[in-house]
Amino acid sequence: WQVEPNATIGEIKSMFHKSQGKSLKDEDVLQHLPVGTTATFYFRDLGAQISWVTVFLTEYAGPLLIYLMFYFRVPFIYVPKYDFTTSKHWVVHLACMCHSFHYVKRLLETLFVHRFSHGTMPLRNIFKNCTYYWGFAAWMAYYINHPLYTPPTYGEQQIRLALTVFLFCQIGNFSIHIALRNLRPPGSKTRKIPYPTKNPFTWIFLLVSCPNYTYELGSWLGFTLMTQCLPVAAFTLVGFIQMTVWAKGKHRSYLKEFRDYPTLRSPILPFIL
Amino acid sequence: MPSSLKARTSGTTELLYESFLSRWLVIAVGLVRAYLARGSYHGLYYSIEKPLKYFQTGALLEILHCAVGIVPSSVVLTGFQVMSRVFLTWAVTHSVREVQSEDSVLLFVVAWTVTEIIRYSFYTFSLLNHLPYLIKWARYTFFFVLYPMGVAGELLTIYAALPYVQKTGLYSITLPNNYNFSFDYHTFLILVMISYIPLFPQLYFHMIRQRKKVLGHVEEYSKVE
Repeated sequence: WQVEPNATIGEIKSMFHKSQGKSLKDEDVLQHLPVGTTATFYFRDLGAQISWVTVFLTEYAGPLLIYLMFYFRVPFIYVPKYDFTTSKHWVVHLACMCHSFHYVKRLLETLFVHRFSHGTMPLRNIFKNCTYYWGFAAWMAYYINHPLYTPPTYGEQQIRLALTVFLFCQIGNFSIHIALRNLRPPGSKTRKIPYPTKNPFTWIFLLVSCPNYTYELGSWLGFTLMTQCLPVAAFTLVGFIQMTVWAKGKHRSYLKEFRDYPTLRSPILPFIL
Repeated sequence: MPSSLKARTSGTTELLYESFLSRWLVIAVGLVRAYLARGSYHGLYYSIEKPLKYFQTGALLEILHCAVGIVPSSVVLTGFQVMSRVFLTWAVTHSVREVQSEDSVLLFVVAWTVTEIIRYSFYTFSLLNHLPYLIKWARYTFFFVLYPMGVAGELLTIYAALPYVQKTGLYSITLPNNYNFSFDYHTFLILVMISYIPLFPQLYFHMIRQRKKVLGHVEEYSKVE
């Protein structure tokens, strides 16, 4: 295999039709690499891959549709006399709107907002991720839309508070996604330290490295409070654990990459975690 | 196991395993004595109920040993086996009085007892660097019978518990309630039984593969001589 010195890594890759490891970037130019007149390249077969966008769209479309199936009480879920009926509790309608809004927001963000560092992930992830999202969505939706559902103990007060928390955190989460997107020019893969912007919802960057996860936790706490449903609490807890793992990893790589990284920041919960 | 870790832990770990070994011997002796006293094997569960509960729960330490590296077994496999035994001991046999006099209980208790006596002997002697081939052979051969025996005993016991669980609604929560959650222990037990279908063959074939690896080498060396 012979290539010109000014060939890019991306071009060499496309000759192999295989994915490469993290070591070199597509944009690197051959003659600028720290090698002599001959160089040895090691290729790693990452196995079957699938694009991040595809995975996100699939794993988010599922909960959106599945929840609606339970909301409209499609046959074979509940006792036949309840087929296609609707709940008499207004909080159930509100919950459906919030849940649906949440996943529509995620789908739109995947299509128009996020800029992904990696194009693909291992194929088996889509089965794992979809099982998680779709499974939990079905489990939650079953109880919230059940004919024997019990509304929150403190009634309207509780629901109002929960809705406020939920909306606040949804806006917050979206603000962070926009702020992170604006850090990176289109088509590039540069990494910069995120800082608070004029948007008050981003001021949390002063205290936290990954406020998108902080707001996400807040949203689901709001939803748990709104529905007073144990499976929702379980979903919130599992999500929190996973996001904490991700936040700690991200925080560590920020610290490694940037000498001047702000010391006041915690990974996900201000001062705590 | 790294020799440095071995040197540091060998004293305490051996004592630990010898104590585990002796506990299971206590159970074995208890079973034999009770059998001789009663003349039949019915109701032998009661003679070893307490030691069984304490020792099987104490086996939770096993998971820690694997995680730390004292024992070269997989954390996942060991964890799974210990959890399933603790589940059988407490959540099925202890919780449903009616199955305690079943023969199937004796079946898995005997299987566990023999397995554990061999296994702890194996670990103890290995740590003392003085492992009789017989023990190694026993550990990797007896399972051919003991595994299916234990599984049969466990499944039959769970199956026997089903009607009582359904009748009394044991460990079950129904709707409506303030936390909008429900759990049917009866269905859960059926799912547990079904899970044996994919899981048991995996564990069984894992042991068979281990056997080829461990016992196979010895045969090669003796041929070379």
